[in-house]
Amino acid sequence: MQIPHRKAPVGLKLKTTLLASFLAIFAMSIGSIPVWAKVSGYVENDTYNRYTNDRGLSKVRNTLQLEYSKELGSVGIFSEIEFNTTLRATYDGVYDLNSDEWGNHAGGSITMEQAGGPSPIGPIPPAQVPFGNGIVLPYGDYDKTKNPNQGLENLGQYLHSPDGGLDIAVPVRPCDKDSRGCLDGYMDADLNELRFPEFNDRQDWLREFYVDATVPLADGKELGLKLGRQQIIWGRTDLFRVLDIINPVDFSRNNIYDELEDIRIPMWMLETELRTGPGKIFDDLNFSIVWNFDKFRPDNLGQGGTPNQILDAGSFFRGMKNLWDNGGTVGNFAFGNTATNFRPHTLGIKDVELPNWTLSNTQLGAKIEGVYKDVGFSLNYLYTRQQLPSLHGGVPALNPWGPLSGDLTEQPRAYLPAFDIHFPRVNLFGGSLDYYVDPIKSVIRVEAAYTTGEEFPNTARPELYSESDVIRWVFGWDRNTFIRFLNPKKAFFFSAQIFGQHLLDHELKNGPLGLIGMPDWKDNYLATLLIKGWWQNDRLSPQLLVAHDTKARATTFEPSVSWLVTDNLSLIARWNTKLGTGARKFNDVRFANQFPPFTATPLHSDPNTPLPVGLMGYEPLGRFRSGPLGMAKNEDQVSVSLRYAF
Amino acid sequence: MKKIVCTLFVAGFIAWTGVAYAVTVADVDTSLLPYKNFEVDPVKFKPGTVVNKSNVEKYKDSLDVGTYQSIKDGWYELTITETTSFDPPAAYIEATRKNFASTKLGEGNLVGFVAGRPFVEEPSTDDPKAGEKLAWNNKYSLIAGDGGTIYPFYWKYRNMKSGKLERQIKLEVHSLNFMHRTIEAPIPNITPNPSGIFRALYIGVEEPFDIKNTQLLIQRHEDDRKRDNAWLYLGFQRRVRRLSSGQTTDAFLGSDLMIEDFEGYNNRVADNNWKYIGTKKLLLPFYNHNDLTELSTEFEEPDGYRYVAFGGQGNCFPKVPWQLRKVYVIEATPVDPNHPISKRIMYMDAQTGFFSRTVSFDRAGKLWKTWMIGESHPDYHLKINKGSGIPQWDAFAMIDTQAMHCTTGQFHSNNDPKQVSPKMFTPQYLRKRGK
Repeated sequence: MQIPHRKAPVGLKLKTTLLASFLAIFAMSIGSIPVWAKVSGYVENDTYNRYTNDRGLSKVRNTLQLEYSKELGSVGIFSEIEFNTTLRATYDGVYDLNSDEWGNHAGGSITMEQAGGPSPIGPIPPAQVPFGNGIVLPYGDYDKTKNPNQGLENLGQYLHSPDGGLDIAVPVRPCDKDSRGCLDGYMDADLNELRFPEFNDRQDWLREFYVDATVPLADGKELGLKLGRQQIIWGRTDLFRVLDIINPVDFSRNNIYDELEDIRIPMWMLETELRTGPGKIFDDLNFSIVWNFDKFRPDNLGQGGTPNQILDAGSFFRGMKNLWDNGGTVGNFAFGNTATNFRPHTLGIKDVELPNWTLSNTQLGAKIEGVYKDVGFSLNYLYTRQQLPSLHGGVPALNPWGPLSGDLTEQPRAYLPAFDIHFPRVNLFGGSLDYYVDPIKSVIRVEAAYTTGEEFPNTARPELYSESDVIRWVFGWDRNTFIRFLNPKKAFFFSAQIFGQHLLDHELKNGPLGLIGMPDWKDNYLATLLIKGWWQNDRLSPQLLVAHDTKARATTFEPSVSWLVTDNLSLIARWNTKLGTGARKFNDVRFANQFPPFTATPLHSDPNTPLPVGLMGYEPLGRFRSGPLGMAKNEDQVSVSLRYAF
Repeated sequence: MKKIVCTLFVAGFIAWTGVAYAVTVADVDTSLLPYKNFEVDPVKFKPGTVVNKSNVEKYKDSLDVGTYQSIKDGWYELTITETTSFDPPAAYIEATRKNFASTKLGEGNLVGFVAGRPFVEEPSTDDPKAGEKLAWNNKYSLIAGDGGTIYPFYWKYRNMKSGKLERQIKLEVHSLNFMHRTIEAPIPNITPNPSGIFRALYIGVEEPFDIKNTQLLIQRHEDDRKRDNAWLYLGFQRRVRRLSSGQTTDAFLGSDLMIEDFEGYNNRVADNNWKYIGTKKLLLPFYNHNDLTELSTEFEEPDGYRYVAFGGQGNCFPKVPWQLRKVYVIEATPVDPNHPISKRIMYMDAQTGFFSRTVSFDRAGKLWKTWMIGESHPDYHLKINKGSGIPQWDAFAMIDTQAMHCTTGQFHSNNDPKQVSPKMFTPQYLRKRGK
């Protein structure tokens, strides 16, 4: 009998071949005396203490990074062949040193809020109901042994009380200790993967690994080729990613506060670039095509139970996935005020649809970049995928009142928060420019993008999401300015940016109890300001970074001081604090009559038609109104980073 | 009365145009080859003589104010070497001969300039434009020939009190003249050049790790009224940033040099008011590198080259000999009222047009920094430079006398045209090199 072998996916084959080729080049490159090889790197300890809510250590990250490059000369038509690799290994000791908060002993037994009040079944007493002790609906209870009241936290508990809104339980221990709510292949890190994040299924320790080469052409033109695992950076702005979206980003390292260089997730890509140089019209003109042939990777948002999660999304997903898989108690659900037990497959996140590797699932970009009459410019196009997840409702789910009507099978149900996670296709059309304006001694930077295909939560739609074209832009201003009483010899660097986002297909309307529609703002503006000074020959450099979200009314201040003790040793001390509004409320689709007629309210003129009425709470959609700054309001931290470079 | 008015008018016109007398071909030789009849007191300036604290008063008139003070304070002592001519390449002399007569000062720019040295007449204090003309001569001097490379280029930041080495940077530098070329093809201009870039400078940082891959590109326009275009690639951002001109008057990478200090002076002529003070015979650090008796053993190069050694107070002074040179003294006052410097006294070597010594004063008028750059004769340097006629920068020191801090530089330089090409002076090249 012949055992049929499983055909390896084309992408895997391609990458395996590439990896083998690169390893051969690597072996060649280190095999000879590396006269023109360059090796450098650093070891670093980055320790953070999150003092709000007395959470204690939130990061004890120890990093070893090695960078190696070697010029390999010319082969055939290729010249300037160079091999580059960056290896990074991290051990985050916080999961061992503060395991009560972030590791195997995190969480505990919790209670769910029951606001209480009138209900069709009589007055509900206000109470804190132990998880598992909510009212049981006709379809029955969930299996408490599969979802015990341990290792849990309440979603958003460090930012807000439920205040009458939804209260969802989140398992917070690593996925090998507690597999509840772990999303396979997306948010499923075990303790070791949290401790050593580069040593995962995607071999992220191999941070960069590529060969670049040049093919000289006529008239001084040249064709550049760069193949391998790499970062490709577009755009001209700091902090905001309007065009710089080729590589996904790892927010689990330090939310939005690490340098993008350190949190871009390198991808296997080919970049070809025709460098024409100066011509009759342009001072510099280049055409490039990027083919991201790696298997799709979304942004890493951070896993539920870990210290760095943008928008606290990881916790929300984990709570919802647990709810789908195992059922559980949700505070303030039934009648809007009663802790309610749900069976599995009723509410939550069913699955994450990560695109498989197929040729059609790869991503393609093109860029024209140059200089025309002192203006640096680029025109960009990218056929990519949304790197942030989109939750598609309409997943077939059970009706907890089903036995009363014979509705016993899993069915798509309008407005029901029963989701799959998708990453839709996105087309990006963009451009950027920079220009020095002499009369105001300032550099102006502009970046803009128009995207189609992006998806946003939308409680006005039965499937709870909708598509919107989006315009994003950043206007940046840089100026060096003396503050002579502070430093008469060296100017301070001022850099201000305004980021704008406009959703062209935004939907929002007033319901009887509140807003219904898209929680993302139709128009929002974020501003950043960086002020940096230098003393002692740039070895001592304090800076202040301020970011403000105008609609969320949330502000982050991050003063820091870096001290270059020697060429090799540096020390950075930071304080990250937030002011303003934290959690914000939005329609949470309770009272949407998802199981008609049993869930109809007096606000539903037709008791047989599901319809949201705008009942609001902090969870789960308020996070999109609060934004990354507001959602991290109670994550104030102090940190010290010590790095030895070599 | 009429005669007096006419005379005043003519004098005024002469002063306005800056042409005090008819310039002749003989002036070319006087300007570019001034050592044919240069008199040196053979006893006072006997090669091997050491000028130090004990005898500095004797040489006070032959020293710039900064060097005099350094020797007087016991920070430095210099050894005198024989005065030698650094003859420019024949092509540069020929271009000067051909074109000097057609070159005039215009409104913020030169009119009729083709190549070579624009102004060959001896400067005169009666000529209010004499300083500006010398600044133009510096702009079009053979600073690095038609193109040059410095690699490796080591910078050291030192505490001048203790001599403690605080920082060491390894750089790669390339420069290229796009216009007014006289030596290497294409002559006179590289085309296409749609924005009229006269010259470009590329600097890349190789070490240390925290600023590795930092790159700077400066494009200077032929039109002196236009601001330079400048871009900075920051390794940790992996992005090319346009630089504001404010950054050209800031310490570069924490050194004691502003970008504006590079090459003695690195900005537009229009950024200063230039006043010619006078012509002097001064000691300047011009010498033959291969004749240096003490060289650094610190860095090894595959070609066996050894760098200039440093000594003196805080190891801030190059151990090189000085020779008596013909020097134009110029006072440069920044046009920008916010400039951190109130004025510079600049000592231009008359033959090369280089600012070999510069003394800068802060906004309060106090002495702030002194710049010195050692120039080696190309015939006594790397083999590749022999016969090029292009003086080789060999060592520099920028001393902050207020902070008692210095930045020193050690060069490994050449003018090999194969090592520079126009494609290196585009923002895209920064992206390509920056990874």
